[in-house]
Amino acid sequence: MAKPLVFQWGESQFSFAMEKVDRAKLYGFKETEVLDDGGQRCVLATLAQDGHTVIGRGGTGLGNLTVDGTWIEKLQLTPVDPSGQKLQPVSSSFAAPVTLSDKATIDEYLDCAMRSIYLLQAEGEAGPLVEELKQGTIFRFAYSFRGGLEPDSGYLLANAEGKVFLAVGKPSKVEFLSLQQTAAVVEDEEQSAEDEDADAMDFSMM
Amino acid sequence: MAEINIFNSAGRDAVVKLQSVATPLRVRWLDPDGRQVSAARVVKSTLNNDLDALIEQHGDLRGVGAAIRDADPEIDLDTAGRLLQETSRVYINSVRKIVHRAQEWEVIRNPDGSERQRRPRTTPDANVGADVPPLKWSGVLIPKKEAVRKFVFVQKMQLAHINGLTYDFLYGMAKELEAKESLMLLGAGPKSNQPLVLRRGASSFRGFLEGRTRGDTYRLILHLSNLELKAPEEQAAEEAAQ
Repeated sequence: MAKPLVFQWGESQFSFAMEKVDRAKLYGFKETEVLDDGGQRCVLATLAQDGHTVIGRGGTGLGNLTVDGTWIEKLQLTPVDPSGQKLQPVSSSFAAPVTLSDKATIDEYLDCAMRSIYLLQAEGEAGPLVEELKQGTIFRFAYSFRGGLEPDSGYLLANAEGKVFLAVGKPSKVEFLSLQQTAAVVEDEEQSAEDEDADAMDFSMM
Repeated sequence: MAEINIFNSAGRDAVVKLQSVATPLRVRWLDPDGRQVSAARVVKSTLNNDLDALIEQHGDLRGVGAAIRDADPEIDLDTAGRLLQETSRVYINSVRKIVHRAQEWEVIRNPDGSERQRRPRTTPDANVGADVPPLKWSGVLIPKKEAVRKFVFVQKMQLAHINGLTYDFLYGMAKELEAKESLMLLGAGPKSNQPLVLRRGASSFRGFLEGRTRGDTYRLILHLSNLELKAPEEQAAEEAAQ
């Protein structure tokens, strides 16, 4: 059984089981089936730049090269942040209770692009925390599933129906723009009718 | 440079820049000399050396095992370890030959895996850009505090001006949305109810426009969502009710 995620809020601890929620679970999913002239199923492969070497699934690997083009093992490498400071590994969020002390504003939450969503089911009594979330509170904390170099931003919040979710993502690099500057490049309806339109949005059609 | 053609609330349209705001790489790996290394993709084995090919050549797994014991049939010394740079994706058939004429089908499945629909695969055209009709100012507002509890925003793009006129245009939009403390639904089509497709063949998203200002600066963000913040049983109950 998967380890629960435990939150420390005030003097109390609350334990939650996690279930990943994605498009496939909500709306179903789409597969592409490719057939040849004989009606036989085909699969994707990689054609190398020489135009004749074909590589099947699992036939490629990743490695690291120095600036001289020499192969180097990962164990010999040091992870650093953009300013060159050595990064220290963080432990998994499941290793110890996660302290809920930092509340995020709605604008801060909106600045984050979410990568994963989990439905949380309380294991035992979690009433006070759930009530706080239903009021609209969003807690923010550093989250790492299995530990690593760079934790994600985790947000604990409740949806309109009071279900508790963990949203995991990374803050986006959004800047205010002035007349002289452009952004940093990384590469008439009635209110009632508006509400109806919003509710009528069909996410499964995409 | 990506662009977006968009109307403001006064019915004036303009083409402006649409920029990625994804977080840049934050972890770099250095070699013992303090120089940054780069990732490389290499060939491990080709189609002629994978397990299916070896079973075909040697009869069964026992035969493959004996061949590996006696020689190295799983390694092609000419290609193993070669760097891969500009590759292409191809389809191969059951006899591992490249297929030049393939029929592509989309199979739509329900959450339980059962088939809902089967249709020839189509590639949706982009409906956001300088060469497509402007996206309308829908006027459909969703308060921010409701939106964050209803939708999952998986990607963001920033609208940016290209000259003084479009600075005024976008600043005005940001100011208007900020005053309403709401996100505005931004969709394609005459009723603004179609999902946005940023590039031909790319995923489609619901778009939500958010504006903020600070002095004479602004930020106008297009939040993209393809998921609602709801439990699977809530979705199932909604579908059953329909």
